[in-house]
Amino acid sequence: MIGTLLGLFGEASTLHLALETALIGAVVYLYFTRKENKDTRVKLTEKQKDELIAEWVPEPLVPETPQDHPVLNPRYVEGKMTKYAKYDGKEYLNMATSNFLGFVGEKRIEDVAKKTIFKYGVGSCGPRGFYGTVDVHLDLEKELADFFGCEEAVLYSYGFATIASAIPAYAKRGDIVFADKGVNFAIQKGLQASRARVEWFEHNDMEDLERLLKLQEERDKKDPKKAAKIRRFMVVEGLYANTGSICPLPKLMEFKWKYKVRIFIDESFSFGVLGKTGRGGFALSFSPAPSSFFENNGQFINDQIGDPFHELICIIDKTS
Amino acid sequence: MSKKARAICIDDFMARQLAERTDILECAWHKRQEEGGEEEDEDHQKPIVDQAQLDAEADAEDARMRARRVKTFSTSDGWATRERAPNEFEHISRWRALTVYLTWVVLIMFAYVREFLRNWGIETSHIKVELDKQKQFTPLFDDFAAVYQRNCYVRVRDVFERPIGSVPGATVNLLDRYTDDGGWTFKMKGTQSSVINVGSYNYLGFAQNEGPCADTSAAIINQEGLANCSTVHENGRSHSQARLETLVAEFLGVEDSICFSMGFATNSMNAPCLVDKHSLIISDQYNHASLILGCRLSGASTKVFKHNDMKSLEKLLRDAIAYGNPKTYRPYRKILIIVEGIYSMEGSISNLPGIIELKKKYGAYLYLDEAHSIGAMGRSGRGCVEYWDCDPKDVDILMGTFTKSFGAAGGYIAGSKRVIDHLRVASPTGYYSGPMAPPIAEQIFTSMSIIMGRDGTNDGQKRVERLARNSRYFRLRLKQMGYIVYGSDDSPVVPVLIYYPTVCGFYGRQMLARGIGVVVVSFPATDMTEARVRICVSAAHTKEQLDTVLDAMREVGKESWCSSFSRHKHLYENLAIEW
Repeated sequence: MIGTLLGLFGEASTLHLALETALIGAVVYLYFTRKENKDTRVKLTEKQKDELIAEWVPEPLVPETPQDHPVLNPRYVEGKMTKYAKYDGKEYLNMATSNFLGFVGEKRIEDVAKKTIFKYGVGSCGPRGFYGTVDVHLDLEKELADFFGCEEAVLYSYGFATIASAIPAYAKRGDIVFADKGVNFAIQKGLQASRARVEWFEHNDMEDLERLLKLQEERDKKDPKKAAKIRRFMVVEGLYANTGSICPLPKLMEFKWKYKVRIFIDESFSFGVLGKTGRGGFALSFSPAPSSFFENNGQFINDQIGDPFHELICIIDKTS
Repeated sequence: MSKKARAICIDDFMARQLAERTDILECAWHKRQEEGGEEEDEDHQKPIVDQAQLDAEADAEDARMRARRVKTFSTSDGWATRERAPNEFEHISRWRALTVYLTWVVLIMFAYVREFLRNWGIETSHIKVELDKQKQFTPLFDDFAAVYQRNCYVRVRDVFERPIGSVPGATVNLLDRYTDDGGWTFKMKGTQSSVINVGSYNYLGFAQNEGPCADTSAAIINQEGLANCSTVHENGRSHSQARLETLVAEFLGVEDSICFSMGFATNSMNAPCLVDKHSLIISDQYNHASLILGCRLSGASTKVFKHNDMKSLEKLLRDAIAYGNPKTYRPYRKILIIVEGIYSMEGSISNLPGIIELKKKYGAYLYLDEAHSIGAMGRSGRGCVEYWDCDPKDVDILMGTFTKSFGAAGGYIAGSKRVIDHLRVASPTGYYSGPMAPPIAEQIFTSMSIIMGRDGTNDGQKRVERLARNSRYFRLRLKQMGYIVYGSDDSPVVPVLIYYPTVCGFYGRQMLARGIGVVVVSFPATDMTEARVRICVSAAHTKEQLDTVLDAMREVGKESWCSSFSRHKHLYENLAIEW
């Protein structure tokens, strides 16, 4: 048998033999060189470390805060913050809260909330995956989806966390996100957490966005194989929290189909506010059913923290 | 096989390393138990003298350990002489770990086979597809995680996300559902079935829809409404939240506290306020995802030390201070150690006295996340700090959540007034998100007052004691049956190891058939080889309910061979465990 093996060796071409020897040589070389210690820093003895540790003085954990900072001396409102707000016994007209539809203090909602407490308790005692999904959550999700004309909806318990965790769920490292410079803090945190490449365009400036999209298109042409793997997203708000302007949705939809970019819309302020039936930015300017993602930072309009509001969507439909 | 050959195998090596580096209250006894047990399995390769000596040692250790165990706790001895139960992490043999990997390989192979069948249309596909006009867009889900999700997770989806129709107390009403297409969609039958709930984080049993907590929460709606519709700094300060913050500070024995409306956001948004890119964070290996996200968002350098291992922590601290930041060649400005009180996936209690000692020696700061331990540990429910008889002022930042023991939602951070003032001013949650809703703040206020005994009854004290008794009883009985249970005997989180991912689905369904709702977790929440059933004992569970659960676990354990994993079963055989 060894004879046949040696015979085979003789039959192989010299190039083949040379290649195989080179490969084996490379493997052997790497195996032995890997053992070398790449740590180039100077090794300190324990005694030297003790001296350094004795010298080290840490900074204080937090800096001092001046005690007359307005946050540390807040005013407490008495009672509910409806159209009027009461401070120190005097009533003021409330132009400060985002109670756009005037649901704070609405008797029907409060009664439903009380019934909910006496049926389900206050907390869910667990995340959605482990016996925290209440049937009311599922009903609300279905109604939200029907209301917007979408296929499905997902509820989050904290408005800030909604967009901050939704963006990293879809946009991973290597993807591109085109974001408006005026987006709110939660979106910025979401973009930071997602590790995707972010291209900022000037606030509500469609030419700037087009310029960036065209740049990306050129990059794609140079490397089409890689471009096929990159996911593209656009993050805008229906009604911007920082500036109060409305995003030009028809133009964005045009870009979506032209450059194949998916749109994320944060409708925290436009949900229930814009459009004939309160369906937000989409209803205002674009009637066919939307086909991208919605994010709803619903806490500002109807405060769903903790208490599921089963009847809320029905009320919106009837009053508008 | 000689000991040297064993050391090469990673699992055993790690186990030995962990066992060797024992410190104040870690598993020194565990190491001796392992050797004592393994010697019996050996083929008499050691000289007889050693064998006898080791046996004698093992026996003596047995007797001591049993003595420790049988010493049931009582409040009469002042709790001062009580020994703390060590954290146990019994490891399985290498062969069994190999079989678990084999299970995974088979699962993944089948996953790809099904993908192939689905792509070629041989099998009907239920995957949600893009709208036709969007087909040219880059697909959203294309990678391995999606394949795993579509083929492995969906098949056992009925074990997760079970919808409930009542308050998640000791028993809960599950909505019955069935699936026609193998887990892709569920239809509701319309009925509900009541099961014993050992999955919810209801440690003190405050998930109630009646009683003083529910009454006060409903009453506050009339006074303060349901929401403020503004951010905390703008107009969001309410009386209920201010009262709550004062009470939390008093409960924990510190100067001040601040409350947030979500526990996850408490960790992730406030870590950046405390550390910046010039600092170092040293975190435990098994820290929660919210802490890891907070570390990442803060921009600080992060180092990880082995779970609960004081030697590893000390080495990291010394090296960090001596060598400084490798990127800037300058010393770190401050060092923050982040640990948890009880780790939710391991059920182990962190070694707080050891960490505080190290922190004082090296000048670092300590951030303690008591999400699961607040309310559940300590003789009056004040958490891990009380459990170990430490001074709460030694811990710089005490963090916790209200979701678990208080039956509400939200989180808090407590500490000295200086730290809390800074957080009030600098935390982004104050500027961009809303405050706690008044009913929730009231629920926490009432439940905390009950725990402190302010309502005039000793209901709170009774709950804490019931929880402690329940957790001890449950754990010892499980170990007697032969299950491998991780963690300390005093923790109410009971992770029971079943190792095989395929047994997860089986276990969940069998327990549901017996009227018990459990939580099973597998990769990626845990290691690949360590799938587990995580049981959360509650003060609301009666002994009879616990016995029902134990009997069911015994039956299912026999069917799935899970209850024969432990090699320490013989230690508990003759133990009479009383509640």
